[in-house]
Amino acid sequence: MKTTITKDNNTTIFALNGRLDSNSAPQFEEELQDFLVSPCTHLLFDFNNLEYISSAGLRIILNIAKAYKSCHYLFVTCAMQEHVQEVFEISGFDSFITIHRSLADSLSALKGRE
Amino acid sequence: MKISFQIHHDMAEIVTLPEQLQVLGQQWSLSRKTIAEITLILDELITNTILHGDCDKRQPIDITLTKTGQTLIIQIIDTGFHFDPTLCTIPDTSLPLEQRKCGGLGILLVRQFCECWHYTRLNDKNILTLQKKLT
Repeated sequence: MKTTITKDNNTTIFALNGRLDSNSAPQFEEELQDFLVSPCTHLLFDFNNLEYISSAGLRIILNIAKAYKSCHYLFVTCAMQEHVQEVFEISGFDSFITIHRSLADSLSALKGRE
Repeated sequence: MKISFQIHHDMAEIVTLPEQLQVLGQQWSLSRKTIAEITLILDELITNTILHGDCDKRQPIDITLTKTGQTLIIQIIDTGFHFDPTLCTIPDTSLPLEQRKCGGLGILLVRQFCECWHYTRLNDKNILTLQKKLT
């Protein structure tokens, strides 16, 4: 999986491209270390080009959601492909993780939030 | 229609799984959604076996897929220690975030994407058979 990291004002955007599985999860987790330990911006995962996610990827996302639960920054996701969204829903993650339809919707929701 | 293949105890081999299933999906005219679900089932179960199965590394994991009409039978055989995934506790997905734990998510997904599954221990091998309706 390829990750592209960009910043938009107070938000860090991770655009995920490819497959988030047990092979790619360790590298992804390493890239997220700072956000897992001490979040200092809003965090946005753009899933537009993510084709596949397994439980190895879900574990990391659960840990990120927990890290952001106890801080005043927000963690949101957007643009999930059908299969990825289904996996999220089966796992019950959609009850505590915000899923926007598009990147623009996410950025608009985060805009202006300190 | 039936196909059998082997995966060795190396996480790098899991990478080849989606490609193999993509080809199979075309041959058997499976939908994109079905291919993704079969990939997830095999990925979760085989990853578990490679990481936690404590198998004899020289013995590959045997996988057989059989399609009869609109039913797919998946069989996975490994030489790891006795492990019956059908007895694993499924995580409670209604719990709030603070109480959610990482464990069991893979088994939850496997359980969701097949209609039924059956485990047998025979000749020091784990034999897991899953049945999936094709849509």
